[in-house]
Amino acid sequence: MTAVLRLELAAESGGGRAETVGDFAEFVRMSMPGLLRYGHALTGNPHDASDLVQSVLEKVGSRWVSVQRKGDDPLAYVRRAMANTHISIWRRRRRESLVAEFPETGAVPPELSRLDNEPLWQALRELPPRQRAVIVLRYYENLSEAEIANALGISCGTVKSQSSKAMASLRTRLGKD
Amino acid sequence: MDDLDDDLRRLFSDDRLELHVTPDATDSVVRGAARRRRRRTAVAGAFGVVALAGVGLGVTQLHLPNPEELAGPLLPIASSTTLTSPPSVTVSTFTSTATVTVDPPVKTGDVSSGKPNPGNTNKASSSNPPPPATPEAQPGRYGSLALGMPEAEALATGSLIEPSSPADPEGRCKAYATKSVPDTNAVIISPVKGIVRITLASYAKTPKNVGAGSTVDAVKTAYANATQSGSNVVVPMAATPKWSYIFESDGATVTTVRMRLADNDCATA
Repeated sequence: MTAVLRLELAAESGGGRAETVGDFAEFVRMSMPGLLRYGHALTGNPHDASDLVQSVLEKVGSRWVSVQRKGDDPLAYVRRAMANTHISIWRRRRRESLVAEFPETGAVPPELSRLDNEPLWQALRELPPRQRAVIVLRYYENLSEAEIANALGISCGTVKSQSSKAMASLRTRLGKD
Repeated sequence: MDDLDDDLRRLFSDDRLELHVTPDATDSVVRGAARRRRRRTAVAGAFGVVALAGVGLGVTQLHLPNPEELAGPLLPIASSTTLTSPPSVTVSTFTSTATVTVDPPVKTGDVSSGKPNPGNTNKASSSNPPPPATPEAQPGRYGSLALGMPEAEALATGSLIEPSSPADPEGRCKAYATKSVPDTNAVIISPVKGIVRITLASYAKTPKNVGAGSTVDAVKTAYANATQSGSNVVVPMAATPKWSYIFESDGATVTTVRMRLADNDCATA
């Protein structure tokens, strides 16, 4: 661990800094649209999606060298971090939109209002964050129960129970039970 | 049962989940990351160890973002990718360490003019040294790919699109498109030297902020050691292994940016 830190500090103090920043900027440019969309699914609204993406990317970017050195796919890493961040610490509501443009007042884009009018979208919003994350990982990311458990750091049993609770709530709200 | 499954899949594939990315989104994130890094570095190493432990554990240790960090000043720092603004001293320190040492110092007086001083002929009255034509030592890396990387390793990054096509008449070297560049000759790999060519995505910029769409003059301003070769501008880099940027142009504007390994045994690279 400390060896990794030293390496990172060494890289940061050397000429690799520029390349690292350029590389991270490139990663952000390429992944931003997909991450915003994913964040939208996770959080249920554009504001929180924007905040979530910005917050997680900043954290990852501030440690880009070590994230890359781990050898994992950085995109998968960011997506897992977003799910976890959404569950564990995403409690604030901020008005400013940071990375996504979104009209503050007045005319909400019609396509957005139609999404807001989807009963299923509304029902998802009512789910607790962890249940919602399990649903998003399963149906948006198409992960298996074991993969969801691994991504969220919970047991398969918890994934199952959260998933069935979520599905039951959704059915109730949609009048499908 | 299946109804709800299907409904969820349909909802999550809905186009209305798309959000518009603001033009400055990338800059905003890069600046935020730099702020966090600076703050952490200032606090000291122990903090870094804790946070790295978070990385090691996966993702469960992401800390609550400090509201100050997100609410921090986004505008006072000049954008690092705005073509019209010359690199200010502040930006240089975090976008390119190399810039600080090999560029002619950009004085604050020059900044207000909106353009870097294109040459050294009218600097007689200034104390600026002439731009040293020293090649930079920037490593030959782009995304997950690096010049000299063996083919197997390059394929393992997942950045290359298979199948490959022969890159020279003998079929020794192989050419690949990449996920960001559809050109089938985007990356060329020698069986001996590894990757000998990497093509940058059309929207990518070099650390000195030039790329496709930049003028040839802007490239020469950014890189004092640039030389013209036909319609291409070649900028050698002093990294190990040595390589060059090749700025292909239509004569006035850069159309494609490639990175080429100097020690190169593929005819077409």
